[in-house]
Amino acid sequence: MEVLSIKGLTKHYEKFTLNNVSFTVQQGEIMGFIGRNGAGKTTTLKALLNFVHPDSGEIFFFGKPFSQNEYDIKQRIGFVSGGVDYYTRKKLRSITKITSAFYTNWDETAYHKYMEMFSLDDTKTPAQLSAGMKVKYNLALALSHHAELLILDEPTSGLDPVSRDDLLDVFIALAKEGTSILFSTHITSDLDKCADRITYIRNGSILASEELATFLGKYRSLVFSEDQLTSSMREKLIGLKPAKHGYSAIATIKDAESFGLENLPADLDTIMVHLEKE
Amino acid sequence: MTKMLMKEFRLAMHPTNLIFLTLSAMLIIPNYPYYVTFFYTTLGLFFLCLNGRENHDLEYSITLPVRKQEIVKGRIGFAVLIELAQLLLAIPFAILRNRLSPVGNEVGMDANIAFFGFSLLMLGAFNLQFFTAYYKNPDKVGKAYVISSTFVFLFIVVAEALTHIAPFFHDQLDTPDPQFLQAKLIVLAIGSVSFIILTLVSYLISAKRFTALDL
Repeated sequence: MEVLSIKGLTKHYEKFTLNNVSFTVQQGEIMGFIGRNGAGKTTTLKALLNFVHPDSGEIFFFGKPFSQNEYDIKQRIGFVSGGVDYYTRKKLRSITKITSAFYTNWDETAYHKYMEMFSLDDTKTPAQLSAGMKVKYNLALALSHHAELLILDEPTSGLDPVSRDDLLDVFIALAKEGTSILFSTHITSDLDKCADRITYIRNGSILASEELATFLGKYRSLVFSEDQLTSSMREKLIGLKPAKHGYSAIATIKDAESFGLENLPADLDTIMVHLEKE
Repeated sequence: MTKMLMKEFRLAMHPTNLIFLTLSAMLIIPNYPYYVTFFYTTLGLFFLCLNGRENHDLEYSITLPVRKQEIVKGRIGFAVLIELAQLLLAIPFAILRNRLSPVGNEVGMDANIAFFGFSLLMLGAFNLQFFTAYYKNPDKVGKAYVISSTFVFLFIVVAEALTHIAPFFHDQLDTPDPQFLQAKLIVLAIGSVSFIILTLVSYLISAKRFTALDL
């Protein structure tokens, strides 16, 4: 079942255009939304909830258009933009009390469960929390109203590797229980660990939206010396750039094999770095 | 609306919103430009919005299951409650002042029924100017307040000056109650209706502007 469907989302700014963005998120899947800084990830996520107004395009949550079902849809989703950075001098308990009043589905038992799971003390204020704990508190709020879809804008930015890994474990466990997760990141190793599918945005346009394994399977990574680089190779290589000893690039599997050079499976980081060089 | 008001009181409210309510007691001062009391009310509302900007109140509010216009309704609703509380608290001090000293206010308008009518008019006009400018661009809360507080200042200057130079104000409106009660009650009625209409228009324009805003 599609929990989120975006069709032809377009938004023009003076110096940037979000161009015909389309992708879907299925129930129980983790969709990684990747792209470099300024590619349009946050703008897309904000447009989903009408924080910014798209010039055109259709957005459906649970098969319903957002514009006519804003209240119902917001009850069923959780939007987490980084860590809690609002009312940083108020106790978490006070923020929770107010927030919970807005949700018809609020589950106090679940809230205490997640607060305990994340080792959060609700007598503290957001200002007293580390970056990771701030994200976890926002997640606890989203999960306590049984959000069926979590939209997370760079939730792992600024977290140490251990905290990032903890958070990814939580995402995997939630997805197994049927929660869908759309999260944007530029830390591609996070997606290698947990994403089912990825949507790759570059300069406001979607470059790919497919199974992670399918996407990774399209490219091979190559490292070679200057002597090995021929003019016919240059035409086929993607994102050719100087490396420590020679050059590095990626190529489609077919092209990579035609070069007769050693090639390796490419990870997301390698693919993204070289695609962005094009 | 109730939930948004609860959010305003429990999370958004700035301490000065309550502290400045005590300034209603300034109406007991024998000679003073009493409209200044309500200038402080507007200053508290500016602090509320400024505090909101620093605390990312709007970023928090828009993720809640509410429509954008309900956020505006909650904020303006809170402002109205604070303004009316200031006004209601001022009434006993006005009565007390007039009992303690029957001599009129030498500075300007007496603390009488007409004064409350003009104050309501002033607050309604403030609501219209401040909130419509604020919701056009919530990051520029200072600009919104400069415009609206300049108006409040000019209103006070003109209203107080009229008690000295305009015979109708001097002879009828700026007199101890219950003299010229009918004229004063008309001013109070006009002030009350103006407050309601101006605040309502403020909400409609503000909601429209905020809804159209890209955050």
